[in-house]
Amino acid sequence: MLLKLAWRNIFRNKRRSIITTSSVIFAVLFAVFMRSLQQGAYGNMLKNIVGSYMGYIQIHSKGFWAEKTLDNSFNVSDIMHLTEQEGITHVSPRVEGFALASVGDISKPVALLGLDANLEKEYIHLDKKLVSGKYFSDDNQGLLIGKGLQEIMQLSLGDSLVFLGQGYQGSVASGSYPIIGVVDLKTPELNKRTVLMNLDLAQSFYGLPNLVTTAVVGINHENWQAAQATTIGAVDTTLLEVMNWQEMLPELKQLISVDKAGGTFVLIILYSIITFSLFGTVLMLTEERSFEYGVLIAVGMAKTKVIQVAVLETLILAAVGVIAGLVVAFPFVLYFYINPINLSGQMQEVVERFGFEALIPTSLNPSIALTHSGIIFCIVLIVNIYTVVKIKRLNPITSMRK
Amino acid sequence: MIQVTDIQKTYNDGKVQVQALRGIDLVIKEGEFTAIVGPSGSGKTTLLNIIGGLDSPNYGKVKIGNTDIAQLTENELIDFRLNHIGFVFQSYNLIPVLTAKENVEFLMLLQKKDDKERNERTTKLLVSVGLEDQINKKPNEMSGGQQQRVAVARALASKPDFVLADEPTANLDSTATANLLDIMLRLNQEENITFIFSTHDQRVIDRARRVITMEDGKILSDSMKQMTDK
Repeated sequence: MLLKLAWRNIFRNKRRSIITTSSVIFAVLFAVFMRSLQQGAYGNMLKNIVGSYMGYIQIHSKGFWAEKTLDNSFNVSDIMHLTEQEGITHVSPRVEGFALASVGDISKPVALLGLDANLEKEYIHLDKKLVSGKYFSDDNQGLLIGKGLQEIMQLSLGDSLVFLGQGYQGSVASGSYPIIGVVDLKTPELNKRTVLMNLDLAQSFYGLPNLVTTAVVGINHENWQAAQATTIGAVDTTLLEVMNWQEMLPELKQLISVDKAGGTFVLIILYSIITFSLFGTVLMLTEERSFEYGVLIAVGMAKTKVIQVAVLETLILAAVGVIAGLVVAFPFVLYFYINPINLSGQMQEVVERFGFEALIPTSLNPSIALTHSGIIFCIVLIVNIYTVVKIKRLNPITSMRK
Repeated sequence: MIQVTDIQKTYNDGKVQVQALRGIDLVIKEGEFTAIVGPSGSGKTTLLNIIGGLDSPNYGKVKIGNTDIAQLTENELIDFRLNHIGFVFQSYNLIPVLTAKENVEFLMLLQKKDDKERNERTTKLLVSVGLEDQINKKPNEMSGGQQQRVAVARALASKPDFVLADEPTANLDSTATANLLDIMLRLNQEENITFIFSTHDQRVIDRARRVITMEDGKILSDSMKQMTDK
């Protein structure tokens, strides 16, 4: 009966109910779309930088991150048991060093990285990032270069790059290797300075017998915090450091935090407007109905039940608004998930200067819808404090006299 | 039985103190059909509100049955009203979004009566007030007289000990007033339901068995009449 009363009351002032529901629909649509665009952008950044190459968790020899020298390397066999841990799919050993690359009279410092061709193919789908040429073959002699580097150094497939750098324990590393393929690492900054070679070849080039500088810990879900905890528990942390992407890329974390704060500010303004709109409705409802509430209390309806009817009414309005808002928002979110916004012109330049792909897809993460629906319901409950207080203090005689 | 002992009530209206009741003593027995009459400001509505537990006296005691209602907490008082007192208001005060049937059922739902009992009693009451063909109409689809008859049915739905009616005929024409009084008298006589009215309406005064006249917060006279059919 309480529900029936609340439901029918909604239709007593249709125009007001429509305005209130519309404001909730707009809030949900705007909030969900904006947040999904933001989260999509962050997700894409992470996918570009973290997911496609860096990984969410890396293991290094203690001190490597502070001083990236080949001398801070470790034996990969020390950590291979990690793959037996729950939530960890694989461990990709890498050698990460720097060298001067030359072709003809063009020279450029590059990141010369060695990796396990089969593992990287299986887990980060490195072979799918090829834009020309072929993937590593069994002879282990070829190089894959970033497409940006190809443009800068005007390289072609089959050209040989000559490298000169510092090897393990002060040795000189040098060698010349042919380019067998060009890859798009999705991040312009990585594309401009990355040369990839097979792990064995890199170990040979740098003179690192069975040693690696980095191991990327593969996880089977995005709960990297749990995987990091597992990893820390399973390795000797007196010798090794286990770092997550936020520790390795504090600028990215900061960028996301700053952007999120901006988005949150906009949402606070939006929700403030919605709060006042809902409060206006609640205020009018309560004032208009105080006579009726007085009658109900006079004839024997407990105040708690009167409150339930009043709160239910606004909760129903909010629920209709939230559901309709989500229904309206979903096609937009889905469309831009399938067809990400492609930044162009100055925006593209700015974004790429930061090392990100100039694409903004939306996120289909259901937590966005749940969060914002929850916020709306919380607002409804908060503004209904007025109704609760008003009814609690209501004197039936005074209200009926009005 | 309702026992009112030395009730006094003073309202503070800004700087002015209004003494609405100045020591009322009254006993109303089960089955009475009583009209409290008097000019505006005589204190009849205040007395009715105090008997109904809607207002509290500054002094004195109201006992309904064995319950001293001044001793009840707010929630107990609301529950007491639900189970012991029926109200009929001048402006009917039905719930506008509910049909006649639902309005009558409403108090029984609050009393958690089962479906069968609710349906039977609602039908019986609506038949007894002559509205069996209006059960699905909402208040705004009915005349004032019909709405007031629904209000009487609602007041009786919870099987109260007595019904308080504040100027129940004030908004009704003579035919509707006569109909309503017929119904209430019949219910009083056949089912021994106690009715207490506050009224100015001579038509109600003429039909009441007991007439209590008030003025300036005091009872001027209290007279019993012989029962009449009409």
